[in-house]
Order: sequence, then structure tokens, then C-alpha cells
Amino acid sequence: MPETILLGPQRFTTTVQPVVRSLGVPGRVAFTNAGWEEREADEGELNGLLDDRGVNLRLHHRMMDVLTKDDRVAAAALAFRDRQDELRAFYGIRLQAAVDAVNAVAHRTSLHGVGPVAVDAAIEAVRDVDRWYEAELAELYAATFARTPREQSELIGWHRGEINAVLDECAALVVAGGNVRTLLRTLRLFGVTPRPEQHVVAWSAGAMVLTDRVVLFHDHTPHGITAAEVHDTGLGRVPGVLVLPHARRRLRLEDHERMAVLARRFPEHRLVLLDDGAVVRVGSGTGDAASLPQGTRYLDATGHVAVEGAA
Amino acid sequence: MSPPTRLAINGLRDRLPLDGPAIDRFIARWGCPIVEGERATFLYRGEVDEAWIRHRIVGLPDPLPLKRIGESDLWAVTTVLPEGSRVEYQVEIRKGDHYERFNDPLNQRLAHSPMGSSSVCAAVGYRVPDWVAFDPEARPGTLVEEVVRSRALRREQPVQIYLPARFNRAQRYPLLIVHDGTDYLQYAAMKTVLDNLIHRLDVDPLVVAFVPPRDRLREYPNHAPHARFVARELVPLLTDRLPLLDAPEARCLMGSSFGGIASLSTAVRYPGLFGSLVLQSASLVFTDIGFDHGGGPAFDPVVKFVNRYRAKPAAVVDRIHMSCGVYEPLITPNRSMVPVFRHTGMRVRYTEARDGHNWENWRDRLGDALAWVFPGPQKYVYE
Repeated sequence: MPETILLGPQRFTTTVQPVVRSLGVPGRVAFTNAGWEEREADEGELNGLLDDRGVNLRLHHRMMDVLTKDDRVAAAALAFRDRQDELRAFYGIRLQAAVDAVNAVAHRTSLHGVGPVAVDAAIEAVRDVDRWYEAELAELYAATFARTPREQSELIGWHRGEINAVLDECAALVVAGGNVRTLLRTLRLFGVTPRPEQHVVAWSAGAMVLTDRVVLFHDHTPHGITAAEVHDTGLGRVPGVLVLPHARRRLRLEDHERMAVLARRFPEHRLVLLDDGAVVRVGSGTGDAASLPQGTRYLDATGHVAVEGAA
Repeated sequence: MSPPTRLAINGLRDRLPLDGPAIDRFIARWGCPIVEGERATFLYRGEVDEAWIRHRIVGLPDPLPLKRIGESDLWAVTTVLPEGSRVEYQVEIRKGDHYERFNDPLNQRLAHSPMGSSSVCAAVGYRVPDWVAFDPEARPGTLVEEVVRSRALRREQPVQIYLPARFNRAQRYPLLIVHDGTDYLQYAAMKTVLDNLIHRLDVDPLVVAFVPPRDRLREYPNHAPHARFVARELVPLLTDRLPLLDAPEARCLMGSSFGGIASLSTAVRYPGLFGSLVLQSASLVFTDIGFDHGGGPAFDPVVKFVNRYRAKPAAVVDRIHMSCGVYEPLITPNRSMVPVFRHTGMRVRYTEARDGHNWENWRDRLGDALAWVFPGPQKYVYE
């Protein structure tokens, strides 16, 4: 049965090698490190961890090739990016105001029981802002693909042919971390989706794109929007799970109130913490949010770190 | 932090009379200035009639006289220096009728500016930000020399344009225009700082136009031709030639001292064109009654401009990043202007540093300012 395995960051604690070996798949292993952007070609160390069986899909290189040679796609990509940036700017303003309102309401003294109701309503207002952004983004995608169907680009078609040939041959796909926006762009441009029968191993940004909802977060970023932001939909291989890589480094886990707001914003999702050394086998084929493997660390609705299966 | 129980210089005084080798050993051991807790002891060695420390630290007497240690040729003075401080100074001496002023010969640490160099005393807790030094890991951007024919200024205006590493015409970039541009590059290491901050994902990759003045005292305090050059010539030219984000939010004006006034006055003359300002130790001098500002004739147009703005404050940008050193005379006007700006609805981030009116102070504030104005893509990267 194909497995989907989410790993913690690989910089300091490397687990990808034993995990891929444990799959026992013969032959070559497809991988993408498109999130590394212009460093995509620096694949030596990663390929070594794959016992030199890796074959790089070179999605970033292919994307740059398309953007350089196909003016129509390049113009559409730039227009999409401009519009998404503008949408994100407005989303950021609305989101920050809505999250600030949650904090203000939560700290207001409540003598007559209104406080908790007000907090619920304020969090619902944040969800409403998230939904608005997601709906606008979906429309933007639809309009872009309607105007510039990927199928009309011969160059994209040629690259897709090569990519699919590699994927057809490999029983496992490895997705490295990096810039999640770039990684998603490349996957979307070439319509790359792991085969249902394929094993998938992914970490950090790679793990994020396997879910159905990619949420950006960094509580220690010097400036900008301080609340976690919905960014995009992912590939949906692991639905119902929201992946939080580098949680210890990027989240104020000790601030339970803040973490509770984050968890309560996404009640349909399990918020899985992927720190160094984490190995989360989310099940065969598609994952199941309700049944995380024993030992998985996640954020519960009270904003505390919990461990699946712990008493 | 409490001062040490006994200062090194007082230990030396206990050993009077002093001979030359004893003083040599003392200086070799302690260096100069001697920073102990929140005290700094400045030294000078030489056969002179008087010696002083000269500085521009508001709150300390200037000149700060040194006293001879016993009958020796060593002079010393101890002053308070709060944690995190960084001050620039020189030594002045008198021999008979002859006065001389120079950098501290016992201190190798220097800061440079268009006015020359000064010695530097860093207190406990002060650290040069690690993004100031050259980082071989950071891919360098490029500086392109341009000359713009300006009808507003009636001259050829040189501009240095910074393009970030991996500059790509398929992307769009925000624009920062820096007054005293050559000085920011030379004395605030701004190219290295930009390379590093972009590499660390603290700051978005951006295009920066470094613009030097010709006649700074005339062009920077609310000068219509200068503002017209920036707003009506430079911005359109760069927007036309480079892949820039064509929106106020993606345009910022920056400057220090009079350059801060040039930034603000340009934004006032062209409200809505720029989304943000970075004002470092801006010369925001004003008077509440009369016109006796004490800044000399160069400040007359500044005070006229700031007084007029204070009479009718208006939101001319969305956001202002302001910083000022607590040891400079401009700290009070800067503090006073924060609520004025905020009341207009502009968002203001204001920071202070235990530093003075100098380029290293402005350099050290760049990280916070640029990351606030153009936050980097940290949120996107999960390695």
C-alpha cells in the first residue's frame, strides 16, 4: 500500500534516508526541490540521501524556461502574481484587523458572560476573512486558467511529457522544503500530482503543499502581518491536516491564548507540528485527519501541544 | 547594571607616583576608553597643559575636561555611559596658546562621515548588527551608475541604482529612494546591508535609487525643484525603465538629518505618491512661538516648513518609520513630531537608540526600518 510520510525539517536532523529506504521501493525515486528556487541544481547532498537513485523533476528550471520562452504564459503568470499580491495585501489588512479584534475582545473584562460569546463571534469573523480570501483566489485561478489554458502552451506540454515519464517510472516521490509559494507555482504550472499508487515523502514546505490548505505563519518575523495567513490550496493528498513545520522555532507555542486562536480558526483541520526529527505516517494513499498516527504532535483547541495517543 | 566596586583608574591612582612603564602596562592591559559597567574612562597621554574630550552627546558637558593623574603625563576622566550606548568623540589639547583636536591616539576604533572621522566608544551591550559585515553567503546585488538629465534641477543628476541579486525582469520590485545616497553607501555600508537583509529574507528584494545632493543645505529643506525632480522625473523614469510595482505602497523615500526633511517635504508636495517614509534623525526643528530656533540660518527654511506642517498636519503617506539617537539635540523635536504624525492617521513606528547624530547610528537602524517598510518573504520559506 502506498504511504504518505511527512517529515520535520531536514537541515539538522536527517530522517529522509532511512524513511525512503524503509519503503523498500526498487529503482529510481522522483524528487523535486523546486522550493530551493535558483539553488535547485545543488542536488548532490539530497540525491546522496536518496542513495543516488533520485531523479530531479527540475520544476523550477522548467518554469523559468517556460517564462523565458513563452511570452503568453509569462504575461499571464505576471498578471496573476500582481493580482494575487494585491489580493494578499487586502487580505492582510482585513485579517490583521480581525485578529486584533479577537485579542481585544479576549482581554475585555466580562462580568455577565458575554465575553466567551464575543470571542466566538470574533473568531468566526476571522474565518470569514479567510473564506473571502479563498473564494477570491479561487476566482482568480479560474479566470487565469480560462484566459490562458496551460494546454495551449506547447512548451508546457513538452515539459509535462517529460515530467510524467519520470513519475510513471518511479514508485516514490520526494518533495523537499523551501519557498512554499514557488513550490506550489511550479507544481501547479505543470499540473504535477503524486500518483495515488505512489509513495510520497515530504518535509517542511513539501509537506505543506500535500495538504488541502497551505497556511503561512511566523510569530517571530520582524514585521508585517503577525497573524497566520491562508496562502493557497495544496494538492489535497493529505486533507484535513494543516502542517506547521519548524513549529518550535516559528510559533510562540508557550502563548496558549494565541495558539488557541490559531487552532480555532481551522476547526476542520488537525494542526500537525513538524519539528526536527518528526516522522508522521499519515496513512495509505490519502491521509485521514481523524486518525493521525500515535505520537504525532499537534495543537489542540485550547492552544496546547498534545500528542496523539498520549493518555 | 551596577558599576564595579573600584574603577581601574582609581586602582592606578593608588599606585602614585607613576613611572612611564607602569602607565604603559596600564594602557596595554585596559585599552582605551576603559568601559566598566556603566562607566567609561577616557585617557590621554602627553605633556600638555589641558586636555578635553569633545563630543556631541546631549546631557554631558562639552568639552569634558580630563585631569592629570598625579604628576604623570596621563590624563583621565570618567563619565557615565549607559548600557547599549555608542558615542563618537575626539580629544582636544592645549599647549600654551596652541589648541589641537584629533582622534583618540589610544583608540583604534573609528567612525567615518563626510565631515571626517571620529573615535568611537561602545558601552557594554552595544553590538554592531551582524548584518552589517560582508557575508560571503549573501549573493550581492549590483550598483548601476546613471546620470539623469533633470529639467527641475537644471543639471545632470547622478544616481546609483541598486538592483537586488537575482534581479529578474519577470518580477516586480518596490522602490526606495535614498537622499544623501552616496554617503549612505560609503558611511552606512548600505549596499552590504541590503545584500544581507535580502539574503536573510528580512527585506523584500527591492530597487534602490541612491541620490546625492549638489547643494544640500539649499536643496533638502523643502525645495520645490528637488521635490519635482524626485516625484516628476526620477520616479517616472525608473518606473518606465525597471520592473517596478507601480503603486504608492511600493514606493518609499528615505533620508537622515536634512535628508529626512527632503523626504518629508517631497511627500508633502506630492501627497499619495509615496506609501512610506524612513526618517532617520530628521531635522524636524520647529518653534511654538516666535522664530528663535537656535539652529542658524541653514535651519530657517526647515523651521518654516515644519512650523507650517505642524499648523496643518496632513497624512501624506501611509506609514513613517522614524528613528533618532537619544544623545543628539534632535531627539526632542523628533519625539514631539510622533504624535503629530499619528494624529493624521499615518502609521508611525518610532525607535530610539543610545547613539548620536552619525552614520553608524543610521546604519544600525536600517534593519528595523527596511524590514518594517518592505517585510521580506520569511513567511514563505520552510526549509
